[in-house]
Amino acid sequence: MKQGLPSDTQIARLEQTLGATRTATDPTSLAAFEIDGMRPGAAVRPANADEVAEIVRLAAAERLAVIPCSGRSKLAIGGVPARYDVALDLSAMNRVVSYDPGDLTLSVEPGVRLEDLQRELGQHGQFLPLEVAFSERATVGGAIATNAYSPLRAHFGSARDFVLGMEFVTGLGEIAKSGGRVVKNVTGYDLHKLLIGSLGTLAVITGVHFRTFPRPAERRVFTAEFGAAGAALEFCRAVAASALEPSAIEMFDPGAADISGIGTESGGGARAWRVVIAAAGSAAVVERHARGLERMAGEAQAARFEAWAGADAAKLLRAIREFVRIAREHSAEATILRIALLPASAAALAERVAAISDAHNLDAALAIGAAGSAGTGYVALWPRMVKRAEASSAPTAGATTDDEMASLTAAIREVFECASSDAGPARGFVEWCPTALKRRISLWGEAREDFVLMQRVKRIFDPHGVLAPGRYCGGL
Amino acid sequence: LNPKLIRELQNLLGRDAVLSAREDLLLYEYDGSVESARPDCVVFPSSTRDVSEIMRLAKRFETPLVGRGAGTGLSGGALPRAGGIVAVFARMTRILEIDAESRRAVVQPGVVNLDITRAVEHLGLYFAPDPSSQKSCTIGGNVSENAGGPHTLAYGVTTNHVTGLEIVLPGDGRVVRIGGKAAEPLGYDLAGLMVGSEGTLAMVTEITVRLSRTPEAVKALLAVYDAVDDATESVVEITRRGITPAACEMLDGWTLRTVEDFVHAGFPRDCAAVLLLEVEGLSEAVAEQAAEISEVCRARGAREVRVARDAHERDLLWKGRKNAFGAIGRLSPSYYVLDGVIPRTRLPETLRRIEEIGRDSGFRIGNIFHAGDGNLHPLILFDPRHPGEFDRVVAAARAIIEHCIAMGGALTGEHGVGMEKNELMPLMFTPEDLALMGRVRAAFNPDGLLNPQKILPLGKGCGELRVLPQSAGSALPA
Repeated sequence: MKQGLPSDTQIARLEQTLGATRTATDPTSLAAFEIDGMRPGAAVRPANADEVAEIVRLAAAERLAVIPCSGRSKLAIGGVPARYDVALDLSAMNRVVSYDPGDLTLSVEPGVRLEDLQRELGQHGQFLPLEVAFSERATVGGAIATNAYSPLRAHFGSARDFVLGMEFVTGLGEIAKSGGRVVKNVTGYDLHKLLIGSLGTLAVITGVHFRTFPRPAERRVFTAEFGAAGAALEFCRAVAASALEPSAIEMFDPGAADISGIGTESGGGARAWRVVIAAAGSAAVVERHARGLERMAGEAQAARFEAWAGADAAKLLRAIREFVRIAREHSAEATILRIALLPASAAALAERVAAISDAHNLDAALAIGAAGSAGTGYVALWPRMVKRAEASSAPTAGATTDDEMASLTAAIREVFECASSDAGPARGFVEWCPTALKRRISLWGEAREDFVLMQRVKRIFDPHGVLAPGRYCGGL
Repeated sequence: LNPKLIRELQNLLGRDAVLSAREDLLLYEYDGSVESARPDCVVFPSSTRDVSEIMRLAKRFETPLVGRGAGTGLSGGALPRAGGIVAVFARMTRILEIDAESRRAVVQPGVVNLDITRAVEHLGLYFAPDPSSQKSCTIGGNVSENAGGPHTLAYGVTTNHVTGLEIVLPGDGRVVRIGGKAAEPLGYDLAGLMVGSEGTLAMVTEITVRLSRTPEAVKALLAVYDAVDDATESVVEITRRGITPAACEMLDGWTLRTVEDFVHAGFPRDCAAVLLLEVEGLSEAVAEQAAEISEVCRARGAREVRVARDAHERDLLWKGRKNAFGAIGRLSPSYYVLDGVIPRTRLPETLRRIEEIGRDSGFRIGNIFHAGDGNLHPLILFDPRHPGEFDRVVAAARAIIEHCIAMGGALTGEHGVGMEKNELMPLMFTPEDLALMGRVRAAFNPDGLLNPQKILPLGKGCGELRVLPQSAGSALPA
């Protein structure tokens, strides 16, 4: 166990800033903040941006590495920290600062749990189209800092489309902001866009301004089942090209459907490809989707088409939202690639992913969000259980062996190659993988020509490299 | 300007692509704003390589450089405030690729906004951001300013429709691709930073835009009011109910009479305000939303809600809206179009405040704006020939903008900060915010040669805020 090392003097200064009750240094408390086998020397729990700034200023002066967190459901995302001295726990910053339902705008602190927030918005007939994995733990700050995947992006776009502005603390401990609280605004540089998905490497998010959306009157979920990838994707493309406006459209390969339990409710074919579509709106709009989707599923020769409401629909929505978590629960060592896909690369990937994993004795699951147009692909890979059982030298529980890592490394390369297209190399990264694998591969692939600009941005926001050092692409 | 620089530019681009005679430069000292600034030289690059070489020459000769599309900007973004070279993108007007399946187009910066839609409409696609100047403004300018338009209410502004850029960096002229066709960025969202940076970080030489699907059904409605308050209250109620029209525009009575005299769009001349609303999407949704909007408007005092019967009637209504500035230009020697944003719940009190400011300052202030997203465009009519009048316009403008900020709003919703509002930035941002933005600019534009003196306040420290440059043009859009 590697432990970060704020000295006794430094810890005393942290305690001076926040008081001893909000500064933890005992091993039991610190264990909860472990990342990739590294444990910080202290965990602090600031209550506001001023306290965050004070801590970061201290860290910058003393060159202590700080990693912000809150719900801690996605801390495994990102490279092995280069250093990890202080966990900056934002869970006490969990207030809804302002909510103007009449303007459909909202300002919150980063530690607000998304489920709590959705409940509050729901009371006003509104919601945030940010439905992410680990839903009962996930917070606003983490969802933004990891640019967490939400199936609703097929219709509502991703965080960059509905975050209006942010307040944050830079690596120098400056309190700064960009954007604003109104729905339309081009004043100044959109610095907050840089923070989305930056894994806390540029600044600590202390406030986020959102636009909210009216909650639809009705929501229904549809599933269509196909014998082959080609037919399933053809169906998705037909839906994307039609006038229909589904709020989510996800394609699951047989492996993904299997681990997610999709298809069990209707007892469909075990090796089937499944498309899950959510439609929302007025009764007439949802009914129109039901008719249109059924017709298109028929034209695409779906083996089965079903509509779901109530608990079944909720279960399906949960399955598509929680895909990464389901894969990680299925195999704690699952390596999960997140790839931005165009329709052509989605088709290539769907055709090839099973063969690639087979060739390397791996099991695989492929889920494609916003299928049929420019979307997001998740490929989960994990060592085949049967092979593990037959292995003579019993591996340590949960550890990935060297052979398996070699297989994974090769399979990752082939998946990215397969998802590349005329438009260039695949744009994707390894979102989740065992720590040992992180030490062997570059999670973000080869540095691209824009890396030099990212370095410049990092130097501006965090010149001393104290914010989550080593966690982002190229070791930023 | 150094004659040697002119010669080098001529060698690089050809003599016909470099203007330096005084009479040739006149055309480039204005944009759509009330500002003016004369370049020392205007060049017309034809390729990314040209732009890169121009960038290097600017550095070598320590000369400011500013990019320009069609010059329709409203905050002086394309004006060479410190003189120097203006690079006009009029020769980079190719649509390089249309990928209907991925719903992307790759275009050069000089392509006119509406031409993108024209090139893809046969595929059932269009480019959503639709600034009023869309028949002439270019996508390069749209990207620089993060341009909006009436239909951004439902579909978002330029930044929501750009996924990739090719940029040329100041100094060494290095060409870098950021983003791409894919929907999500890999690494820091540099395209998100670049869009709306008003040409101060890099020059954009290629843009990958998202194309949207042409909606199945469209309905335009015109709600007619005898009181401005009823119109603004209707907008508040529509927003509150969670109805999202594709567009929700308001014209006050004086403005619409002026427009009607010019365009003959069929606006009723005797009313206090109209709302021009559009709903788009599935026919079922359109029918329901149109009915709900009509109901809200009537309940809030609209004396009449008309629904455009066909495409012709609808086009006429929009023609009225989009040609409004031209109509007003017929009446006044000059006018100043403001751009500010407020939370939509504050619309009624804000319009009352604008009326009050107009009364107190003695100016006619027209209102024609994107009510649905709280993006105001008060239009102050004035005569720059009257001594001191421009200063009073500036004071009235400032009072309006200060009110927007006090309501929790923003300095600009779509026109940009440019050289119009850079000294107002402290109204919205702290010295620390501005210092960070300054460092970001310096990281990309270290010599400050690319589009200098824009966005950020010029003065150091917190002295008296200078509101606007004192140069009153009579810049009327054609």
